[in-house]
Amino acid sequence: MGETGRGRGTDGRVRLLRVYPAAWRARYGDELVALLEDLDGAARMSWRVRLDVVRAGLGERARVLVLGGGAPRERVRRGSVLVLYAWMLFVLGGFGVQKASEHWQAATPSGERTLPALGFDVLVVVAALGSVLVLLGVAVALPALAGLVRRGGWRTIRLPILVAVALSVSTVVATVGLAAWAHSLTAAARNGHDASYAGVFVGWVVLVAACLFAWAAAASATARRISFSLRQLRLEAGLAAATSAAMVVMTLAAAVWWGAVASAAPWFFEGRPAGAAASPLVANVIVPVAVMVCATALALAGATRALRALPALADGSG
Amino acid sequence: MARENDPPLLILTSLASGPKHGYALLLDIEDFAAVRLGPGTLYGAIGRLEERGLIEPVESSGRTRPYRLTASGSAALESALAELRTIVDEGTARLRAWARPGAAAARTVA
Repeated sequence: MGETGRGRGTDGRVRLLRVYPAAWRARYGDELVALLEDLDGAARMSWRVRLDVVRAGLGERARVLVLGGGAPRERVRRGSVLVLYAWMLFVLGGFGVQKASEHWQAATPSGERTLPALGFDVLVVVAALGSVLVLLGVAVALPALAGLVRRGGWRTIRLPILVAVALSVSTVVATVGLAAWAHSLTAAARNGHDASYAGVFVGWVVLVAACLFAWAAAASATARRISFSLRQLRLEAGLAAATSAAMVVMTLAAAVWWGAVASAAPWFFEGRPAGAAASPLVANVIVPVAVMVCATALALAGATRALRALPALADGSG
Repeated sequence: MARENDPPLLILTSLASGPKHGYALLLDIEDFAAVRLGPGTLYGAIGRLEERGLIEPVESSGRTRPYRLTASGSAALESALAELRTIVDEGTARLRAWARPGAAAARTVA
């Protein structure tokens, strides 16, 4: 905003506008200050006017938080990338649930396996479907990526992609080594009774997380530099919404599995003998399920941003 | 009643008579609708309308930038007014029926 010819009253008005996001102030700030001057002149602003400006400014901030701000194209891109990050977080939670659920059938009475098996099967099938959706999202961006590389843009995205590749190679090597070690251990040792294995396992989880997020960061950096067609943006938004829906279904399926096993065989979660009193509320299930819930909420926020920007894209204002 | 809740419609209606800047919009809206919009409310609605391509700024050298209707804005206003007209016509017809002799007795029975 311009700084010339301002008195104390105008400075107060400019300060009041700090409640708005910076991008909004850059676009409309001068006009709103001029309007406030026209309304109250040299007099102090009324409380009614102040409250209206503060309420509207906070509304703009909330809107940016939900919709992402910026042009519709940018909102679709950012929303889709947020869903990708959420998917990576969800995969980590999914690993945790998968690890915590090992051998649940053996601990559950045969007559009570139907509901948990249904929950678990839905989780596995929808996870495969979700992976396909994410890969489709990458495939949709490939023609635009090829165009960027042809125009000499490889050097602008080289670093994050090379970091992701290096972490992937390290993860594969670490996974093979860990699996070989795990085969030489008893089930009890694999489930926390061997401190050195547990320590290395935590390190492996960190490495997997770093690998997943490195790929998400590489995709984000690439998406910033390529220009999508309207059709590609619509496809990306649709895939983001479908992936989010898959995450909702998987989270519900995990909850069904957890609840059903908790009801039929609560001793499973604490690794106690069948029939022993035990609580199903154990950290190795609570934490991954909480991660899945948070990831799903993030994905829904991202998909909402992307979908809500579509009408403006259709208007041609993007 | 609900007019305060639809600043975009008030702004589009005001701009239908020609480009105006913020202060002129507030005065005009107060004049034809007896609604006093707050400045934050006004610029929130202006931002939304501009984002949807329904209004656009007119070139201006000063800090008070006038806005005008676009073709899409004109079509959107026409469509919104047609919807309002439907409600007005329906409401008027129902009120007439309500006020007809004998309707009071029927209302008591119902």
